[in-house]
Amino acid sequence: MRRRISYPLVALGMIASSLAVPSPAQAHGYVSNPPSRQALCAAGTVRDCGPIQFEPQSVEAPKGSQRCDGGVAQWSVLSDESRNWPARNVGNSVTFTWVMTARHRTADWQYFIDGTRIATFDGGNAQPDATVSHTIDLGRFPGRQRLLAVWNIGDTPMAFYNCVDLNVGGGGAVPTTRPTTAPPTTAPPVTPTTAPPAAPTTAPPVAGPPPPVAGDSWAAGVSYRTGDVVTYQGKRFQCRQGHTSINSWEPSIFTLALWLPL
Amino acid sequence: MIVALLAPLLLGACGTPAAPESPSTSGTAVAEIKAAQDYNDTDVMFLQMFVHHQRQGLQMTAAAVGRAQDPELRTLAEAVRATEQDELKMIEGWLRGWGKPTEVDTAPNLHADHGGLPGTGPAEIESLTTVADAEFDTAFLSLFLAHQHNAMELANLVKDGGRNADTMAFGERVRASRQGEIQQMLRLMSK
Repeated sequence: MRRRISYPLVALGMIASSLAVPSPAQAHGYVSNPPSRQALCAAGTVRDCGPIQFEPQSVEAPKGSQRCDGGVAQWSVLSDESRNWPARNVGNSVTFTWVMTARHRTADWQYFIDGTRIATFDGGNAQPDATVSHTIDLGRFPGRQRLLAVWNIGDTPMAFYNCVDLNVGGGGAVPTTRPTTAPPTTAPPVTPTTAPPAAPTTAPPVAGPPPPVAGDSWAAGVSYRTGDVVTYQGKRFQCRQGHTSINSWEPSIFTLALWLPL
Repeated sequence: MIVALLAPLLLGACGTPAAPESPSTSGTAVAEIKAAQDYNDTDVMFLQMFVHHQRQGLQMTAAAVGRAQDPELRTLAEAVRATEQDELKMIEGWLRGWGKPTEVDTAPNLHADHGGLPGTGPAEIESLTTVADAEFDTAFLSLFLAHQHNAMELANLVKDGGRNADTMAFGERVRASRQGEIQQMLRLMSK
C-alpha cells in the first residue's frame, strides 16, 4: 500500500506531479474515551502491544468485520483476550469520543455488543466535525462487556475497528478497574451478569506522577515544577517551565525552554 | 500555469540569504543550532511540512493555555507550546540556512489520495475558540491527539527517506516527544 502525499513540490524545485512515499499502514482514527484497546496500548496502560502503540489510529480493514483487530494480523494483539484488558467502569449512559487523524467522508458509525448492532450514527457521507462523540444507553447490557465500535468510511470500502472493554452500571466515578485475578488464558473474560456495585477490583496506578527529590537525577515520568533542580549527565539544570517529563525532554540544547543550565 | 509554478521557486531563490555554516551549540538559544549542509529533498519537504504543522500546533496550544479547565492539561499545553516554539525557530533557521522557503503554498496532506482532509484544518482550530468551556478539554484533546499522531507520521518521512543527520535526529525527537505527550493526553482524556 502506498500513500500519496499532496505537496507543493515546486517548493522543492521538482518536476514530478506528486511524491509517493511508502507507508506500512494507513492511519486515521480510534476511540479515545472510554479508552479502546488500542488507546490503552498507546497510553502505555497496557504494555507490550507491539507497533499499535505508535499508531492506534491504524486499525483499518474492509467493512463488515466483527473483530477487535479488523482481521489484520499486524494488530492481532487487540483480539488477544488473554491480555487482561482493563474494563472501564461506566454508568448506563456512555459517551464515546473519537480521535481522527484524517477526516474521511463517513457512511456511519456503528456500535456492537456480541455481534448485535446496538446503535448507528449516520455520517451523511460528509466530513465529520472536529470532535466526534456519540452517547449510547447501555442499560440493557449490565456488567462486563466488550463493545465493538466501527467507523465506516463513505468513499472507500474500509472501516476502522475498536474494541472498548466496559463494566456497565459499575459506576462512572471510578476511572478504571483491573481484575484482581487473571482471566483464563483460553477463554474470553467471564462476564458477570450483574455488576458488583461496590466492588471496584483494584485501583490502577492513576495517581499523578511522583514529585521530584531536589537535586535528584532527571528521570522520565516525574512532575517537575518551575524552580526544581536536577542533575543530568553530571550537570545541574533548573526547571523553567513546569511539566511531566517524557523521553526526549531531558535537559539538553534542544530543551532550553524547559531546563536552564546552572 | 508555468508562471504560477515558477513564482515560488523565484521567491525561494531570492529569499533570505543562507545563514553562516559554522556549527554552533553555544547553549544560549535553540535558534543558533545549525544543521549540516548535507541534505536531500525529503529533508526539505519534511521541514517545510513540519513548519506548517507547528504553526497550527502553536495556535492550538495557545488556546489550551488560555482555556483548559484541567490544571494538568494547562501545564502540559504550556510545556508543549514552549518546546514547540523553540523547535519552530530551529527548523525555520535550518531551511533559511539551506536557502529554502519556510512557507508552503498548500497545506500538506498525508491523506489526499483517499479523500481525507488532514486531522487539523482552520475550521478545527477555530472550533477551539468557540466550543463551550465545559467541553473544551475533550475538544482540545481530541484535536491535539490527532495533531501529534500526524507529527509522528510526518517524522516517519524523514526516518525513511531523509539524508541530513540533524533533521533525522530531530525526527527521532519528534517521535519520542509526541509519543510521550500522547500518553499523557490519553490519560488526561480518560481520567
